[in-house]
Amino acid sequence: MIFNSEISGQQQHTTSPVVTGGSVIALVYNGGVIVGTDTLCSYGSMATFKNVQKIAQISKNTIYASSGEFSDFQQVVKELAKIDRSALQYDDGVHPSPKDYGNFLARLSYKKRCKINPLYLQNVIAGFHNGERYLGLVDIYGTYLESNFITTGFASYFCKAIIANYWNENCTLDQAKQVIRECFKVLFCRDCRAHDVIQLAYVDAQGAHIEEPERVETKWDFNGFKSRANEKLHTQ
Amino acid sequence: MNYTDILASKFEPETTGTTIMAVIYDGGLIIGADSRTSSGQFVADRCADKIDYIHDRIFCLRSGSAADTQIIAKHVRYYVDAHAQELGRLPAVATAANLFRNFLYEYKDSLSAAIIVAGWDPYKGPQIFTLPLGGSVIEQKWSIGGSGSTFIWGFCDSNYKDNMTFQEARAFVLHAVAHAMFRDGSSGGIIRLLNVTKDKIEREFIDYKDVPVK
Repeated sequence: MIFNSEISGQQQHTTSPVVTGGSVIALVYNGGVIVGTDTLCSYGSMATFKNVQKIAQISKNTIYASSGEFSDFQQVVKELAKIDRSALQYDDGVHPSPKDYGNFLARLSYKKRCKINPLYLQNVIAGFHNGERYLGLVDIYGTYLESNFITTGFASYFCKAIIANYWNENCTLDQAKQVIRECFKVLFCRDCRAHDVIQLAYVDAQGAHIEEPERVETKWDFNGFKSRANEKLHTQ
Repeated sequence: MNYTDILASKFEPETTGTTIMAVIYDGGLIIGADSRTSSGQFVADRCADKIDYIHDRIFCLRSGSAADTQIIAKHVRYYVDAHAQELGRLPAVATAANLFRNFLYEYKDSLSAAIIVAGWDPYKGPQIFTLPLGGSVIEQKWSIGGSGSTFIWGFCDSNYKDNMTFQEARAFVLHAVAHAMFRDGSSGGIIRLLNVTKDKIEREFIDYKDVPVK
């Protein structure tokens, strides 16, 4: 267990997460960037909160999602929204770009990591700015990287192979959505903390669009599954 | 998560974090279980059969460490088989329960195993024996077990009735297991039901899309 900071009076965020959100998968496509999450927040092993929106719109052309402690996700949403609002003070029509948010979050996460009081999150910031697609990952230590595709949590183990084989950076929006759906199908089958209702959100030249949650179809009626029976192992 | 936690979770033993249930009705008993075997956060087997065969009319439902319960069930199966050969008739469910109990009690400090033994015999009809962690044996009319059971005690306490019909009992088990799977991260997948009566045993496979609560 990470030990508590010795600085007294300082608010401790999380030494170990309580309410956690699952994997995030994000891809670029030919017109923008798409992010997918499921809609479950778990309380340990209990699937407590089932209809949770875990993708937030930070500004007109930036969206943010993360896996890990959900209260930290909500706090980060507040912090990033503060930046956007304070930019209005300059009254010059200039707003932070998606990369600015990514950079801010990286610096914030690193600062907290240095105080042994981290935000228990793997963060994904996605945006579309000046015709350029942006996709950034900030992890619990403040490691910052930009990439064409990002997975967090269990998806990093199961979904990178699916993405590598079925996606390319210039695919269409529908193709990217299908790849993400396939990834969440696998996660639902193989991750105890996953749910089959997912939510997709994408940012393109027109701005951010967060879709309604949808259920992915998983197949369970294989003949092998159905006919499996322990008495067959022990009787003729 | 710090480094020791990550390492520890990599070596978490494979358990049947699970939902298992057995209910006696008028004429037999119904056994139900989910199909998820988990190893930490990973679903090792998504279509498991947790209804283990002991004898033609005796079954056990396993929860706790998969390794522990599998090997104990293997031993009990062997002993019951030998015993039934010598007896020349169907063994008593209580016999199987007692054999399980001997293992769980003698080795209680080394094992993580909780078992429900359910079956029918010609001497006392349908019976259910619950064997929790310490090795005690408690006969019950209905029993739930596994990590998912914590979520359905209220449901089961309110909905259980004595002398249900087969249809009522089947619906009771199906909905209870479904509710547990709905909330327990360590339970999931499909539901397997087994109806045990004097004349036959019938399996039923409830596809994920037919699970009543999801």
